[in-house]
Amino acid sequence: MKSRSLLSAVIFLVLVSMAVAACTPAAPTAAPVEVQPTAVPVEPTAVPAEPTAVPVEPMPAFEGMVQTAPDCDYGGLIKEIAAVDELTVQFTMCVPDPAFPSKAAFSAFAIQPKEWIETAMVSREILEKPVGTGPYYLESWNRGDSIVLKKFADYWGDPAITDTVVFRWSGEGAARLLELQSGTVDGIDNPSPDDFEVIKADPNLKLYDREALNIFYVAMTNTFPPFDNVKVRQAIAMGLDRQRLVDNFYPEGSEVASHFTPCAVPNGCTGDAWYDYDLEAAKALLTEAGFPDGFDTKIYFRDVFRSYLPEPSLVATDIQAQLKDLGINAEIVVMESGAFIEESSAGRLDGLYLLGWNADYPHITNFLDYHFTASNPQFGNPFPEVYEKLAEAAQIADPAVATPLYVEANNAIKELVPMVPIAHGGSATAFKAEVTGAHASPLGNEYMAVMDPAGRDTLVWMQNAEPISLYCNDETDGESLRPCEQILESLLSYQVGGTVVEPGLATSCDPNDDLTVWTCHLQSGVKFHDGSTLDANDVVQSWVVAWDAANPLHIGNTGAFEYFTYLFGNLLNAE
Amino acid sequence: MAPVTLSTDKHKDYRSNSLWRLTLRRISRQSSARVGMVILGFLILVAVFANVIAPYDPEQVLIGLEDGVKKRSDPCIHLLGCPKDQAQHIMGIDGNVRDQFSRVVFGSRISLMIGFTTISFAIIIGTILGAISGYAGGAIDNIIMRILDVLMAFPSLLLAITIVSVLGPGLQNALLAIAIVTIPVYARVVRASVLSIKEMPYVAASRALGGSPLHILISRVLPNAIPPLIVTGTLGIGTAILDAAALSFLGLGAQPPMSEWGTMLGSERNQVFTAPHLVFFPGIAIMLTVLAFNLLGDGLRDAIDPRLGQAN
Repeated sequence: MKSRSLLSAVIFLVLVSMAVAACTPAAPTAAPVEVQPTAVPVEPTAVPAEPTAVPVEPMPAFEGMVQTAPDCDYGGLIKEIAAVDELTVQFTMCVPDPAFPSKAAFSAFAIQPKEWIETAMVSREILEKPVGTGPYYLESWNRGDSIVLKKFADYWGDPAITDTVVFRWSGEGAARLLELQSGTVDGIDNPSPDDFEVIKADPNLKLYDREALNIFYVAMTNTFPPFDNVKVRQAIAMGLDRQRLVDNFYPEGSEVASHFTPCAVPNGCTGDAWYDYDLEAAKALLTEAGFPDGFDTKIYFRDVFRSYLPEPSLVATDIQAQLKDLGINAEIVVMESGAFIEESSAGRLDGLYLLGWNADYPHITNFLDYHFTASNPQFGNPFPEVYEKLAEAAQIADPAVATPLYVEANNAIKELVPMVPIAHGGSATAFKAEVTGAHASPLGNEYMAVMDPAGRDTLVWMQNAEPISLYCNDETDGESLRPCEQILESLLSYQVGGTVVEPGLATSCDPNDDLTVWTCHLQSGVKFHDGSTLDANDVVQSWVVAWDAANPLHIGNTGAFEYFTYLFGNLLNAE
Repeated sequence: MAPVTLSTDKHKDYRSNSLWRLTLRRISRQSSARVGMVILGFLILVAVFANVIAPYDPEQVLIGLEDGVKKRSDPCIHLLGCPKDQAQHIMGIDGNVRDQFSRVVFGSRISLMIGFTTISFAIIIGTILGAISGYAGGAIDNIIMRILDVLMAFPSLLLAITIVSVLGPGLQNALLAIAIVTIPVYARVVRASVLSIKEMPYVAASRALGGSPLHILISRVLPNAIPPLIVTGTLGIGTAILDAAALSFLGLGAQPPMSEWGTMLGSERNQVFTAPHLVFFPGIAIMLTVLAFNLLGDGLRDAIDPRLGQAN
């Protein structure tokens, strides 16, 4: 009896609940996000509402964000970034910037939803959970082991071929090759040069050469004696047998650097070629400089594999031996990678140091302007003979018109020897032969969405190291940028496996006549991985948090936003 | 009463029964110790005559000096069919185009130097600390031993890496680090010996005769504490060489172009499949050296340990 009453009560309660649920309006599927533009809103664009049969709540008018620098005295290139309308973003520059499209395609300017940036930047969630528009979304990052990406069903472009991409890493070239040979990975980055023949001889594997769009150089800081003496620097330039280094320590496809910038980049090889090796002339110069018996110094480097320097310790040892022939006793000092970059970038290394540069985007400014600009202390006191010409040339859109200026700049670099350009190093990727769409990108941004591991649903890629973070707007490490490039997208993009700039999230970025205003038109209907739709405010917010040092969301990983600084000059409101 | 004369035979017996002769005799009867001595003798000869044995300067880059020489070339031995027009390199060519055999030969100097200097340093400091601790006792003993306990609480190689990281990479700093982490071992051995010896009747007799503590410690106690120290030291040399090789392998010890076996292994570790000879020969050299010291140390321990006195 008692149980029957209880059952009746339960049935009654269930019926009442169902009735209440049926009468309640449907709840939104996601909590509404209140958009609070942090920058000053511009006048909303008047959009006449279409008359409809059923009266509905009017759509809130689009409030475009805009961030403006009070003037250009802060030392940066950007004057204003503004969301003109929902699908139009306008960049106003302080000076003409012909390289803007190449820069805007770079993964350090990837776009994430405005709301997500506001939510996840402060909590630093954004470092490990990027929300992009790319062909893959992040499923998991198992620290120390792997990153798993899944195919994004609502991708606006050509969908990814493979459902799952797994990123793994190993610092040892031999270990990477072993994994590839044993079939546990489908592709590896940077096989050791000595393994190239092994890969070529294996019918199950295929090697893809990567174009040598980089530079390895031996640098000196001219604020430390004896490198403050130009004759000493010239002596080292003539006393290093660069051909010997390339012949012995670089793979096929590498070449001795005739200039700092590779010849594949327009204007890269203008001006006189570098000094030929001449030991006697070098010794004579050292004697003239007051060092007939040479001197003691150090060779600093980091023992990290890079395509411009595949065997750092061997190259350092050979340079040490070559310097000995000049009478220079050099002690080799191996530094931790981060400390080395920090010290060399600040011009605090008192000896020679081995460093290089991989192209981020295929433009001469990416090589020369960063290294030899007036604000870079890397080589000591910057040379006006170089940076004045570069500043002038950077504002000219037509490469042919800029050529005479680059000739002067390159000749001044040769004369003043802030560093000795050694080689443009070839490198490669290797894949199982059955993987179609495999490639090696000259910019190091291999695109996994076009690869097909023989119909299997998972592609496993092994690179040199674990990413530092996946908020790549504040990363410079190539090992971080590559996974970011599968998840996140920028306004423009680079051709898969190439360097040509193509449409990305913007169908185009068009300049005005004097190249000081770039207007980017966004694709419509692009979805982020969180389901939100791309609009111009997402673009402005993604750029502004990096550009404006006073912005409360200017946090990132280290907060340095190095790429932004060197591509667009000083940050706004930087102390 | 006839004068007592010391017969020559008896004198001989006395000498023949001295600890050192006894030890040598016992060692020579052990085959493993004999093997250790032979290998060590060979290594010492190689180290001393490295200049004569090595055909090249170990730091000499051969580019331009020999036709057709390539980095990481396989060994070329004329007796085994290598063409006569090629220069002979019996252990091949390393990554910097240097003769690997010459580098391995000169590496013996560095490894033996590492073993002897680190252990000598550790023994000297360890003996002083152990002797003071054991003989003085009380609070001094407590303080010294607790500090050494803290040192021993860390894995020795990890502690050495930490010390080198603080001091900076380099062979000297690596030697210092290895010596520091091994000091507690010797201090404890000496302290244990001193604790037992200071209670012996002859020490009490010296004390009764008015001998100063320092005099008793140096002339009565320490000489009798040395045998176990020698055994531990001999075994420790092998460990020190291994630790130094490990530090150099990690880039914290000997720096290029020094021909140190650990450095040679470390710089070519990625070539284990493409040029195995470049890791095989330095690896074998390290193994042989450590084996020699271990075999000899075991032999010494067996010979000196009074509980194994049946071999008289």
